[in-house]
Amino acid sequence: MAKRKHGSVPLKKDEITPKPLYDSRRKFLKQMGFLGMGAVLASCAPAPAATSAPPAEPTGGLATLTGLTDELGNPLTDYNAVTGYCNFYEFTTNKEKVDEQAEDFVPEPWSVEVGGLVNNPRTFTMSEILETFDQQERIYRMRCVEGWSMVIPWLGFPLRQLLEEVEPTSEAKYVAFQTAMLPDVMNGVNSMMFPFPYLEGLRLDEALNDLSLLATGLYHESLPPQNGAPIRLVVPWKYGFKSIKSIVKISLVTDQPYTMWNTIAPQEYGFYANVNPDVDHPRWSQGTEIRIGENQRRDTLYMNGYADEVEYLYEGMDLAVYY
Amino acid sequence: MNQQIEDRKQESQRFQMRVLVHFGGLLPLVLLIGSYVRDELGFNPVEAALQKTGQIAAVFLVLSLAITPLRKLLKLPLLRYLRKPLGLYAAFYAALHFLTFAWWDYGLDFGLIWAEIVAKPFIIIGALALLILAVLAATSFRSVQRKMGKKWVQLHRLTYLAAILVIAHFLLAVKGNLLTLQGNYTFPLVLGGVLVVLLLMRLPGIRKNN
Ligand code: HEM
Repeated sequence: MAKRKHGSVPLKKDEITPKPLYDSRRKFLKQMGFLGMGAVLASCAPAPAATSAPPAEPTGGLATLTGLTDELGNPLTDYNAVTGYCNFYEFTTNKEKVDEQAEDFVPEPWSVEVGGLVNNPRTFTMSEILETFDQQERIYRMRCVEGWSMVIPWLGFPLRQLLEEVEPTSEAKYVAFQTAMLPDVMNGVNSMMFPFPYLEGLRLDEALNDLSLLATGLYHESLPPQNGAPIRLVVPWKYGFKSIKSIVKISLVTDQPYTMWNTIAPQEYGFYANVNPDVDHPRWSQGTEIRIGENQRRDTLYMNGYADEVEYLYEGMDLAVYY
Repeated sequence: MNQQIEDRKQESQRFQMRVLVHFGGLLPLVLLIGSYVRDELGFNPVEAALQKTGQIAAVFLVLSLAITPLRKLLKLPLLRYLRKPLGLYAAFYAALHFLTFAWWDYGLDFGLIWAEIVAKPFIIIGALALLILAVLAATSFRSVQRKMGKKWVQLHRLTYLAAILVIAHFLLAVKGNLLTLQGNYTFPLVLGGVLVVLLLMRLPGIRKNN
């Protein structure tokens, strides 16, 4: 597989919280004896509306987080919305009830089996993952196929780094992912409504793109259960359902892997599922979207605004056919 | 004398039924507005309002069609006063549903709205249902009813067609695969099941026995 040069992460330097500040926040929280940062962050004021300017000067501490924007100047989506409005059908199909239903989901101990067509198959424990790979903050737009979107500050590391550790062989063409299936805590998997476990996949070159992130946290805390604890994929130029949650298994394979939504309704959910305002969906508008927290629809951007970084992946492909 | 007492009794019962139906008919609206002003429609209020108004409209529509069979079954002639108001409330919430779609969600951008309607079969079906309900609501006045006579009854049988279209619209609006029933199909299937029973009851053979 020839590696191509491509754009860097579309983050402005000043948008990444400086490490010292981030660390001092951590210490501050520890000193204050807070059990989780979530409790504090949850009480943050909602993010300002898109049109209002970010707060003038960071006053230090947690307040600054809500002043952050993505590289296009979009403010972060309110923490409460990010963690309170989730699609995670293993728990429930009600987006606003997932947090409640996922309360008993304690993702410990956890390990991720990485295998298939690789030279060094390996099972990583969660602590090995956190030790091996530096966690970076990435602010990404998340566009759901249902026509809504968010701006989320993730913590994580490029999927590429993990793949480099296991060394895909030359036969490997795709990466297949699998979500945990824990009937004891996931009420939805008992319903038999959907063919769980949840499966997703990427083409290997997509997986190696620097934007493809394995996220272990958001808003400076470890991932809450409803957001796919303890580790999930984030591919920001694709519809949200590609960003598979609570991963237990990653396999390198030759053939395009089965994915859950593509299996259920192939005419509606393609394997590629790139955000594309020109490829319509029978149910939801893909030309426009509602940014959670805003009142007006906004235009959906081609490749969710990441075209410069990912367009090379689809050269010569008819994206209306490979949707 | 007796006749007068009868009339008055009937008048008061009719009044009670009216109070009942308007209470039940306006309650969802009050609850909806209540959730809206208290910011309790959730993180995606447009989506919530769209789904709630649609569901309420669909329930009122099927309920109005269920009144006549229920009246006969339960031997409660008073129920006849509920049928028309329930149908009108169905039309009212359907209009609210459309307003939520066109005004709140799409900001009255008619170019976008038109593009959405023609691009999505499930919305074309919903629009047809709304059209029928609008015609039926416009001709629901007693004066029109009297003028149209038998034709009115025929025209208003279109309620059944509207209900079929609404169930189809509902089934297609659910995320999943309708053919394999992978998705949240319980609500539209229950409502559709009730409608099928109501349609079967109109078959001549079954009707006579009632
Ligand atoms: C031009 C007319 C109409 C338009 C544009 C329209 C639009 C929509 C849209 C966009 C949805 C999807 C909502 C979502 O899941 O996000 C929807 C769902 C729905 N609509 Fe309509 N609709 C129309 C007419 C009607 C009518 C006449 C009724 C009933 C009397 C109705 C009842 C429903 C129901 C029950 C749902 C499903 C709600 C759910 O998902 O729980 N619609 N409609």
